[in-house]
Order: sequence, then structure tokens, then C-alpha cells
Amino acid sequence: MLYNRYLKMHRKSSFQYKGNMVMLSISSVLISISELIAVFLMFRNFKTVGNWGFYETALMFGLITTIYSFTECFARGFDEFSKLIKNGDLDRLMVRPVNIIYQIFGSKMEFSKLSRVVLGLTVIGISLAKLSINWTVAKVLVLILTLSCGCLVILGVMMVGAGISVFSVENLEFINIITNGAKEIGYYPIDIYNKWLSRIFTFIIPVACFNYLPISYLIGIGSLPNIVYALSPLYGLIFFIPCLLFFLWSLKKYQSTGT
Amino acid sequence: MSNIIQFNNICKDFKISVRKKGIKNALIGFFKREHKTIEALKNVSFEIEEGDIVGYIGPNGAGKSTTIKIMSGILTPTSGSCSILGFTPWKDRKQYVSNIGVVFGQRSQLWWDVPIIDSFELLKDIYKIPNKEYEETLNELIETLNLKELLNRPLRQLSLGQKMKCELAGSLLHRPKILFLDEPTIGLDAVTKLAVRDFIKEINKKWGTTIILTTHDMSDIDALTNKIILIGRGQILYKGSFSAIKHKYDRIKQIEVEFKEKYDKIEFDGYEVISHNQNMAVLKNLPETTFNTKDFINEISKKYEVVDFSVKSISVDEILAQLYTELKL
Repeated sequence: MLYNRYLKMHRKSSFQYKGNMVMLSISSVLISISELIAVFLMFRNFKTVGNWGFYETALMFGLITTIYSFTECFARGFDEFSKLIKNGDLDRLMVRPVNIIYQIFGSKMEFSKLSRVVLGLTVIGISLAKLSINWTVAKVLVLILTLSCGCLVILGVMMVGAGISVFSVENLEFINIITNGAKEIGYYPIDIYNKWLSRIFTFIIPVACFNYLPISYLIGIGSLPNIVYALSPLYGLIFFIPCLLFFLWSLKKYQSTGT
Repeated sequence: MSNIIQFNNICKDFKISVRKKGIKNALIGFFKREHKTIEALKNVSFEIEEGDIVGYIGPNGAGKSTTIKIMSGILTPTSGSCSILGFTPWKDRKQYVSNIGVVFGQRSQLWWDVPIIDSFELLKDIYKIPNKEYEETLNELIETLNLKELLNRPLRQLSLGQKMKCELAGSLLHRPKILFLDEPTIGLDAVTKLAVRDFIKEINKKWGTTIILTTHDMSDIDALTNKIILIGRGQILYKGSFSAIKHKYDRIKQIEVEFKEKYDKIEFDGYEVISHNQNMAVLKNLPETTFNTKDFINEISKKYEVVDFSVKSISVDEILAQLYTELKL
């Protein structure tokens, strides 16, 4: 399959610079760990944040880290789409008889991010174990749904950024603020933020739908009916569709402007 | 022979946002942009026959790349119609592009730090080339381009000439019916240039591939093709045989004359003095004068004492330079 070939190529390419790869992997894990330590230190002083203890918050951290890093690794082509435009590689992709989206996925992969995925999954595992959850089939499904819809949300944001870069290279910092800001916000339970901020990150850039809300379902807290929490990740899917459409529209625009 | 490419009244406008200086204007520009329309192509029409090698030439910024991009399905024109192999490139992109190969002179389709052969295998998967066909084509390309030792090395270790050979091979693996070459010989040394030209000719002959190449190197045109399309400021200025143009300018000769002594001023009827230095002078016949060695030497000997002289035809590059000046490009 073509995707396997892409994987093989990227693996070969990154193994050309083993040292670089190892250093990048280690340093990005260290950064994540330091962020986790910050969360931990805060809980030593406060014990709880709202209804949330350390392991609940660590679970959020684990989810965010896994989802972000996984998407950053495999959807790097969208993340760095402006480079694809600038060096003319997008033109290259367009003269090939394969779907463009598929090719963008294949165009770039950042395996050093996988170290964070491992860290994130480990933190999720430990937190879930410490939280003594009554596991049901539904809860397992919700967890899987959360991870996959979370990736779609991040991919959607990246696609919007990619679409914008067709028109202007300068607006990219703005997208970085959104992605990184959302990540930072997602480390803590969303109800500690002010009403507007929490609404923005629930409905407009739905970070809450792949951490705070489904976690509430998993650990059985929250004031809304259970079903709302359980199905909240699906909102990510709804969020993704217009993002994809916007991206496809800007690709069309690229063809007519050829910036 | 039938037309493989048909371009009818293709126009392409680009909207460029005009930005003014200053922070205030930058802020205004964020919300409201002023646009300027640039006509990159104006009613471009031409046709190319199957099996032809066609040189697409013109000065920088004339619209060459835009045309190539439209022909390869990357850009959608503002108006006009185009049929290549029965497809409209920008509409039937996915089906169409498996029939073409494109080499963009200065950027690579091969992977920087992975052995060439791996890049080729990726292309094999992208174009869904059957194993047997792939082996056959690859072997043929390896032989004609002498690629054997290069295949297991990553692109970054190759010289510019070796890179170009690999690029050419990569764009031909799926045996395209049409090959677009955007400045294929740029930056190559003389030997490699000849090798690349020979290869292009051979592919054209053996596989019947239609080849469209843009170049600034007129010796490419001279060596490869007789058919040219000349574009300037977005308009087709000439299409047809290059020898017709050459013929027109071939009448102009440059004559370098060495005199026995130093003259203060050289003047000669029907000729223009291009340069004059010590006892040497370079003359050029005016368009109305037909150069004839015997008459020339007879006439000039009456006026000056000539020791030696040599006659030179004007080079293809000079022809093009003259053409561009005449057409005010």
C-alpha cells in the first residue's frame, strides 16, 4: 500500500540522522514532563482544583499530550503546509495521480513526536489505574472515541491554518496561538476558567470535547446527564467537517491564484 | 499526425494585493485589501503535434511557467479552453496526470536523504506501475542514463548533473505520453548538457514521447528541436520553425578586420562599425547590404590596408536577444 511506502521512506529518512532524532525525542519528552511536574506541584499546594484532583488532571494532561503529539507526527504536512507551498512541493503533489489530502499526509511525518505519545499513553494508563474507575464497555468505547475525535479536532485546526496559508503567510502566528493556547488550556479542567473562555474552548475550538467532558463521564462527575458527556467527543467530528471543507476550498483557490 | 495539445484562447489573470507602507496601512490592509490584476496570459492559443519536441521560449516573466502549470493541471485558467490527450487538465486532474511527466528544473521530486532507488519505488506505487513494466523501464533508463552507481546513493550526495539525470528517469518511470521539462539544462556542465540532450532525443525517438521544454539556453533549442513557441508579455509572438527566424538573422555577419596600421576612424559604406580598437575593428553589415566576401575585401582594400579578417555568423543567443529587442520584450 502507498501509505506503507510513505512510512518506510520517512523512517529511512529520519534514521539518516539518528542522533538528531534521539535528541529531539528526549528533549520533547523532557518539556512535557516539566509541564506535568508543574501540574503536580500545584496540587501539592491546593489538593484539588474545583472537583478535580491530581490524577483527574493528569488524565487530561495525558489525553492532550497523546492527541496533540500523535496528530503532529502523522499530519505534519498540514501543520507545515506553508512550507509545502513556499518550496513548490504542492505543485509537485498536484501532478500526481493520487488524492491531494492523502499525499499531504504522506509528505511529512515527524517521528520524534512519538516519544510524547508514549509519555502521554503512560500518564493516561497510570491515571486510569489510580482513579479506580468502574469499567464498562461503554466507557472503553468513549475513551477510544475521545482519542480519535481529539485527533480530528487538532487536524481540523491544522487544516484551517493550512488553508489560511494559501492566502497569506503572515497569519500563521495566529494559528499557533490557537493551537498552543488550546493545549495549555486543556491541561486544566475547563470550569476553572471564566465563562467566555470555557465556552470558546467548548464550542468554537472544542478542546473540552476530548478531555474535560468525556473524562467527567469516565470518572462519573458533573451535573449534566451522562449521555451528554459520553457523546461529547462526537462534537469534534462536527467541528472537523467545516474545517475540511474550508481546506478543500482553499486548495481550489490555490489552483486559480497559484500564489 | 494529430494534435496532442490544443490551447484555445487561454487567459490567466492574477490578483495581487497591493500593500502600502506603514503600520496604519498594514492594519487597514488586514481588513481591506486593494487588488491589482496582472494579466499573465492573454489569449494564448497553440497546438502541438504528437511526437514533437517543442521549445517554449521567452524572457523571464513572460508567462512560460504559468503555461506549463496550466498544461500540467496545477493552475486553472481564467478563461479559454484546453484539451490535452482529450482531457481538460484542471478538471480531470487525477486521470490526466498519469499520462504526463513534469520536471521542474530547480526543484526535485526525489527525496533528499533517501537512496534514489527508494524514491523510484515510491513513484512506482504512486503511479501504480506493474512490477514487470517497472523493471523493464527502469533497466532501460539505467542503461541510457548510466545510473547504475547512483541508485543506492541519496540525492544529497549527487552532483547537479547526476541529480538531473535521476530527475529525468523519475519522471519517465510511468512512461508518460507527454513530458514537460522546465529548464532541464540549467546549471549543467557542457558534457552533461550534451548527455541530457541526447537522452531527451532518444526518449522522443524510442517512445514517441511528446516533449515540451522551456529553456533560456538557445543551444538546447538548436540541438533538440526546430519547433518553437515564443511568448512575451503573456502573448504568443511566434510559433513555427526556428530555422525561419535564424535565416532572417543569418544574413547579418560580423567581420573582424585587422589593419596594417592604426586608423583614427573607420568608415565603410553599407557596414556598421561595432568596435574599433588600435588596428582592429569589428564591422556588421546593415540589413540592406548582402555580405559577400569577394566584394567586401575588394572594397575595403581600396580604402584601408587589410592584413587579416574573419567572418562570423551571429549566434543563436544574439538572434534571440535581437528578437526580444525588436519585439520590445
